[in-house]
Amino acid sequence: MRFDTLVAIALVFIPFSLTSIGGGGAIVAGIQHETVSVHAWVNSREFLDLFAVSRAAPGPGMMLATVIGWRVAGWLGALVATLALFVPSSVLCYSVFKLTNNHRDKKWHRAMREGLAPVGIGLIIAGVLSLFRLADGGIVAILIAGLSCAILFWAPRFPVLAVLALGGLTAVLASSLDTWLSTL
Amino acid sequence: MTAPVPAPSPEAPHLRSLFLLCFKVGILSFGGGLSGWLYREFVLRKRWIDEEDFSSSLAISQMLPGANVVNLVICMGEQLRGPVGALTCVLGFLVGPFFAVVGLCQLFDALSGYPLLPVISDGVAFAAMGLLIIMCIHGVRRAMRFPPSVVTIAVTAVLVGVFRLPLIPVVCVIAPVSVALAWRRI
Repeated sequence: MRFDTLVAIALVFIPFSLTSIGGGGAIVAGIQHETVSVHAWVNSREFLDLFAVSRAAPGPGMMLATVIGWRVAGWLGALVATLALFVPSSVLCYSVFKLTNNHRDKKWHRAMREGLAPVGIGLIIAGVLSLFRLADGGIVAILIAGLSCAILFWAPRFPVLAVLALGGLTAVLASSLDTWLSTL
Repeated sequence: MTAPVPAPSPEAPHLRSLFLLCFKVGILSFGGGLSGWLYREFVLRKRWIDEEDFSSSLAISQMLPGANVVNLVICMGEQLRGPVGALTCVLGFLVGPFFAVVGLCQLFDALSGYPLLPVISDGVAFAAMGLLIIMCIHGVRRAMRFPPSVVTIAVTAVLVGVFRLPLIPVVCVIAPVSVALAWRRI
């Protein structure tokens, strides 16, 4: 039933809203598990496509939830998923900012800042690992990810959209090279 | 705390200009580096926020869950126009990307017969993983100053990424431990 689906979407994304420390990258692994393995809303192929779409579009990477919601239940699904992912974290941020902004030099505030940062980084690494597993792209995946990483490491001002386009182009070249080699 | 809701001072920006600025940054924001853009607009060009307020807002935005930029515009909006300002900023920021991402998805579907599309999509996804790896590199470098942080990163990454334990319980256990370690150190 449609209403049930909307409720299920909200229930999946609300907890992720509150665990997305460091942003959308931190919850890719979790969202993948819930939407592909647990609920089977999308298959691995579709998940990877939606991930690519969400990264090529403007806005935060967390818009991945929006496209999953849209795929599962149309515009209403997109709206529910977006609200579920952004409202809880936004309310939390608003409250914490309002309550603690005057205490930012206090020790507990620093401990909180410095303690949560590494958890966020660990989650992003986990997200990369699970995306690699999902993509099953072998050497091409490592090559392209390494290339885009290297470009942005040494040239941080390089336009991101160009890096993504370069990734798509390299994949096409690699696949035609593969086809050509197999005809030899 | 009885701090009054900051009344908009004479020079506080109109809600409309806040909305339009956030809309512009949102719809043109491809990839990362957005905090730098907001810094340029709010601090350098419009002079709505001073430097120190910006960096403390940035710290809070980064440590709390949620997209960093969304959290950041909430803090900016609150400082400038209170709760309504925060709401205006976040709506302005998200409304463009919401329609853009669904539009791109529809375009993707329309092209679905095209045989190279999955290959291109994979390539874009791999390149996007590179963006995530960059964040990891910077994060690990920062954590190097305090070795237990590196352990926290590794344990989190292995439990969720390798052993595929559910993310939420793992965070609920590791986050308090990590904050306690930081507390003992400073």
